[in-house]
Amino acid sequence: MSETINGWLFAAGRHPEGGLRFVDRSEAATWFGWGEVRERALAVCGGLRSLGVQPGDRVALIFPTGIEFFEGFFGALLAGAVPVPLYPPVRLGRMSEYLHRTARMLERSGSRLVLADSRVRRILGETIAEARPDLGCRTIGDLPGSAMEPVAVAPADLGLIQFSSGTTVDPKPVALSHRAIAAQVDILNGFWRDTDELRHSCVSWLPLYHDMGLIGCVFPALSRDATLTLLGPELFVARPALWLRALSRHRGTISPAPNFAYSLCVTRVSDAEMEGADLSGWRTALNGAESVAPSVLRAFCDRFARWGFRPEALTPVYGLSEAALAVTFSDLDRPFRGRRFDREGLSRDRVAREAPDGREIVSVGRAVPGFRLRIVDEMGCDLPDGRVGRVWARGPSLMDGYLGDPEATARALRDGWLDTGDLGFLREGELYLTGRAKDVVILRGRNYAPDEIERSVEAVPGVRSGCAVAASWLPEDAPGEVLALFVEASRAATAVEREALPEACREAVLGATGLAVDRVVVLAPGTLPRTSSGKLRRAETLRLYLAEELTAPDPVTPLRLAGAMARSSLAYAKMRFERRGG
Amino acid sequence: MSEAEILAGVAEVARVHLGWEDPLTPDMRLVEDLRLDSIRLLTLAVEVENRFRVRLDELDEGGIETVGDLVATVRRKLGE
Repeated sequence: MSETINGWLFAAGRHPEGGLRFVDRSEAATWFGWGEVRERALAVCGGLRSLGVQPGDRVALIFPTGIEFFEGFFGALLAGAVPVPLYPPVRLGRMSEYLHRTARMLERSGSRLVLADSRVRRILGETIAEARPDLGCRTIGDLPGSAMEPVAVAPADLGLIQFSSGTTVDPKPVALSHRAIAAQVDILNGFWRDTDELRHSCVSWLPLYHDMGLIGCVFPALSRDATLTLLGPELFVARPALWLRALSRHRGTISPAPNFAYSLCVTRVSDAEMEGADLSGWRTALNGAESVAPSVLRAFCDRFARWGFRPEALTPVYGLSEAALAVTFSDLDRPFRGRRFDREGLSRDRVAREAPDGREIVSVGRAVPGFRLRIVDEMGCDLPDGRVGRVWARGPSLMDGYLGDPEATARALRDGWLDTGDLGFLREGELYLTGRAKDVVILRGRNYAPDEIERSVEAVPGVRSGCAVAASWLPEDAPGEVLALFVEASRAATAVEREALPEACREAVLGATGLAVDRVVVLAPGTLPRTSSGKLRRAETLRLYLAEELTAPDPVTPLRLAGAMARSSLAYAKMRFERRGG
Repeated sequence: MSEAEILAGVAEVARVHLGWEDPLTPDMRLVEDLRLDSIRLLTLAVEVENRFRVRLDELDEGGIETVGDLVATVRRKLGE
């Protein structure tokens, strides 16, 4: 098999089932065979080259799910350039933040040109003025028409820059070579081998700027000259049934999604929407990118068994963009496995002891072929099975590094091993994840830097400056991750300020980051644990809190359900209106 | 369609799709008061489009901060 994405594109298009199918909001489908995708990409390649794009240049792409994304993406690759997919604006979101963040990502990736959809391009003025890519911002339509030959690429050349995090202070561009991507895709294709009776076909609503959507869905289909059916993420969120109906109608055998998507289907898909649907052909329902909740997996199996969904299809997996994608897969034809472990053992003693009333953790399976795992202590020494430590991974698809950031690269890659920053243990060769060593908040499959959340409450009256910790975790039996903010009240805070702190903090975090905090825990000054050099210890804060050893918090408001959230904030809104009125 | 009718439609969308059971007023801000994160903002945008059969674009949306802004935008789109 070819060792470059370009090689796959040239080889594809021979099989009648090879191509992209886009499903729109009325469920109508548009088809592009891989041969046609290649022709369109060749036209874009000519335009890019005559514009002055050189081999190795980074070309940023900002498109919704659609054929234009692929024209730009493959066009850039054919021109020998490196595509950098970025996300389009969030609907109804805060435009100024989006524009600023996008500018930062253009700078970090050193993008020379931005290709955007005409709708997105209209609003990018500020971003382009800030980042000043020297070839500017263009739509596919305004590229010069010119037939220029594609440029040859080598397996060691960079094939993709993907950003590891969502909203973060310091988004890191993960640089992947063609060879690393090819190695990952080879691993993935090994899990769904085509036979004479069955050619696998993937259905995905995942964004194309996300590793699971691009590397997990697009490349395996292209390299096997197979079908990929795509829906835009916004269609899925607006009407989750469209995902399941597309799987049924287009006979999808593989489809991945983060945990929250399975939860959304359980709560938002009606029986009427599922009428006539048949999910029995769905062989592999991959679940990754955020913590896997056993309660959600069970609820999904129960809910959709009526339409033929097979419990053994649910396949918890683990991976990260620094490894191109997958690091572990659980067995494909076995129902997911959860085991219960003693809580104290996990958090304090760092030992996994099975206990009937303990915390249930779902196995994310074994290292995928070609990958090896180690569990190490803080000093980098190997720990035996059953001991909790940092998860290190080594395999053929690791990143070259973070583009232009040797320091961060040196922290992540050590002697050929990737320090994933996750905590877990091995048991009978299977990996169980218990938390995160690195300070990252993961919500709905996206990573956020905690300091951005913490900084947003700096100016809230009554908060002790520099004394806030943001952390997320997956409570047992909860449908998704919970975001908590721990703040110390300043000694000078008045009773009124103290009272208003939880609401004021929620509002500040929402305003600055767009994230809804589930719990605000107000603490007395000096409660938050710190290192000897005075740095806040986030993981320790969370551990103490969960062990109920953090000094007694003020009344906690677990606002997890939209209804409850809405009611409480309405009370707050009313209070403010009354105040305003008075 | 009057502003009151559009507001009632938006309130219905918020009730059905976002679990917002209480009255909705034009001064409420989508992020701070309704506490909508990016997934819920997206849900609101798409469902409002479906309900009123309009298509909002980024230029319209960048300036929408409150329920009232959303109602006014829908009204303008319906008039186009």
